[in-house]
Amino acid sequence: MEKQNRRSFFKSAGLLTATIAGASTKSVKASPENILSEDRMGVLVDTTTCIGCRNCEWACKKTHNLPAGELNSYEDKSVFKEMRRPDSSALTVVNQYENEKRINFPINVKVQCMHCDHPACVSACIVGAFSKKENGSVIWDTDKCIGCRYCMVACPFQVPSFEYDKALDPEIRKCDFCFERTKEGLLPACVEICPVEALVYGPRSELIKIAREKIKKYPDRYIEHIYGENEVGGTSWLYLAGQDLAKTKALPALETKTAPGVSESIQHGIFAYFVPPASLYALLAGIMWLNKKKKESSEGE
Amino acid sequence: MKRVICGILFFSTLVVAQNKSKNHLPDGKAGSLQNVNCKTCHTCDVPTKQNPCLIECPRDEMITVHQTAEQGPDVIKIDKLTNKYLPVTFSHKTHSQMSAMSGGCGNCHHYNTAGPILACADCHNTERKREDISKPDLQAAYHRQCIDCHKEWSHSTDCNSCHLEKGSPITHKVTKGKDHPKVKEPEKLIYETNYNKGKIVTFFHSDHTKLFGAECISCHQNDNCTRCHDTKNVQTVSSTIPEKISKTGSQHHQPCFKCHANDECSKCHLDKPTGPFNHKTSTGWALTRFHEKLECAKCHENTNNFTKLNNDCVSCHKNFVTGKFEHEKTGLKLDEIHQEFDCGDCHSESNLPDGKAGFANKPDCSGCHDDKSYPKDKPGSLVKVIKK
Ligand code: SF4
Ligand code: SF4
Ligand code: SF4
Repeated sequence: MEKQNRRSFFKSAGLLTATIAGASTKSVKASPENILSEDRMGVLVDTTTCIGCRNCEWACKKTHNLPAGELNSYEDKSVFKEMRRPDSSALTVVNQYENEKRINFPINVKVQCMHCDHPACVSACIVGAFSKKENGSVIWDTDKCIGCRYCMVACPFQVPSFEYDKALDPEIRKCDFCFERTKEGLLPACVEICPVEALVYGPRSELIKIAREKIKKYPDRYIEHIYGENEVGGTSWLYLAGQDLAKTKALPALETKTAPGVSESIQHGIFAYFVPPASLYALLAGIMWLNKKKKESSEGE
Repeated sequence: MKRVICGILFFSTLVVAQNKSKNHLPDGKAGSLQNVNCKTCHTCDVPTKQNPCLIECPRDEMITVHQTAEQGPDVIKIDKLTNKYLPVTFSHKTHSQMSAMSGGCGNCHHYNTAGPILACADCHNTERKREDISKPDLQAAYHRQCIDCHKEWSHSTDCNSCHLEKGSPITHKVTKGKDHPKVKEPEKLIYETNYNKGKIVTFFHSDHTKLFGAECISCHQNDNCTRCHDTKNVQTVSSTIPEKISKTGSQHHQPCFKCHANDECSKCHLDKPTGPFNHKTSTGWALTRFHEKLECAKCHENTNNFTKLNNDCVSCHKNFVTGKFEHEKTGLKLDEIHQEFDCGDCHSESNLPDGKAGFANKPDCSGCHDDKSYPKDKPGSLVKVIKK
């Protein structure tokens, strides 16, 4: 990922302050890539197939150089007693819920960043550290990130997490759709390891077709809803299930309206009586960035 | 002839299979762009994965999805994929026995044609990164078949219950020659329902399976291992009667309605338990001797919808007419004089209209002879019955 050094940041910050009065939110976020390309990739998660083995959790940690432990230790099903969320030590987690149709057969739902088509995190990020890529993934640039945690607030799935426990240079972390692996032609690590291929990686449009076909073929097995097809304007990760995942509280109940619109309106609501949002962004960004640098240098001493 | 038919069948199913993605049920609708009629391979109008209703291939030596558990292989070595595990020795026979009740071979060998059994790898790609992602890859296909039941039964997804890691001191799990104990069939089940006009339903289980020819799967379609195993959410085998499962009214009726759709409620719902099926009380026509031993389907062609048959002997036994009937098959060869008589001349029953033959009583000689009676006197000579 491209780096942004201190000098170039000052440049852009300066530029922003200069255009403080007239700038609109949109002008800050350029989208040069064809981020909604027809062949952008996605993953279809079939929660009726997932067996809750948590191998995906392990593989994800392994590829992202997070402490993973032994694969055998993931047999431990006691973690299912509590609902977990992805955090900086586990970019994906598998939870367990009661199955409405078969009591003895709880359902498992893997959660991670959904790689939204219209990502709120990208809109919210004031320094442009987040970006949506042509292959569907939403990634971020650690070097640009100033740790303001706007993305965490903006994300409708509460995905980005902050390394609170890390004293030195804490970073935002989330599932990056295995960007480095897919670039090399490899499958995302979780998709590769899943023993039952509950995770199918492929072009999003094809996945939707496959999902529709499955629903039609097995009406008893699936409810007629592909979670992620339209939620917050569509996501790269899609879910098939035998019951309403939002009602189960496995995934949030969301409207089809895109999230950035929502987040923008919040910001506008807050800032309407003050200065235009962009100017505030720039100001905040500057302060945050300075703070970060200060902290870094004091820690370095 | 058999071989020719089978050859044609097999070839056509192969053609269908090869063009499956393009031409076999192209949009989920029945029909094929090949000139192969659905009925060439399927017996029902709408074949599904659960019930593909494949016709049986008439070639005897071919192993098809219509095989019994014992006819299939005992164990199978699964070694198509290499990874950190040793090949799995899969106890095929035991598993076939387990699934015999709820779907047989087709449980795992789904979408198989009427021809020979295809290996999983014939359809499922060994590579996860592949072009056609509409069906699972081979590893997932294997695992999905196994884990669904294993997980439900043991509440575990422990790899080691089937796999041995490479370098392990034991090289295979002993699975050869194991048999699943025979599933005990109840004679009858008495249900107490909340239907006011007739609370009691007596279901004669063995009548339905043995007499009416109902297949286990027609009712036990959704039953799997946990129907008997792990009934109390613990890993035990309950050897007696499976746990009662609560079903909705329509779920209860669904298997019955396949045949009893047009029957009155009072056909099954009564105020006290009933006896087993009795042809005389139910239809007014008693089955005796030979008829008693026949399967229903021998006379009633459509066992999904029993209809009243004409009980004149000749309506089934076309050769039961004077001059055509080979009486020696009964063990008595009629002499020349008696060969000329109508059946009813000797075989008569007082409750039948005159001249109509009845075979419930012993033959009566008094119509012609005052001094003769069967079996003391015989209208011919005894011969040995040659059973075919
Ligand atoms: S799920 Fe959250 S973090 Fe992921 S792309 Fe969407 S908004 Fe961004
Ligand atoms: S795509 Fe990669 S980063 Fe995301 S959950 Fe899967 S393994 Fe983890
Ligand atoms: S690896 Fe696959 S089956 Fe196992 S928990 Fe993850 S998604 Fe589910």
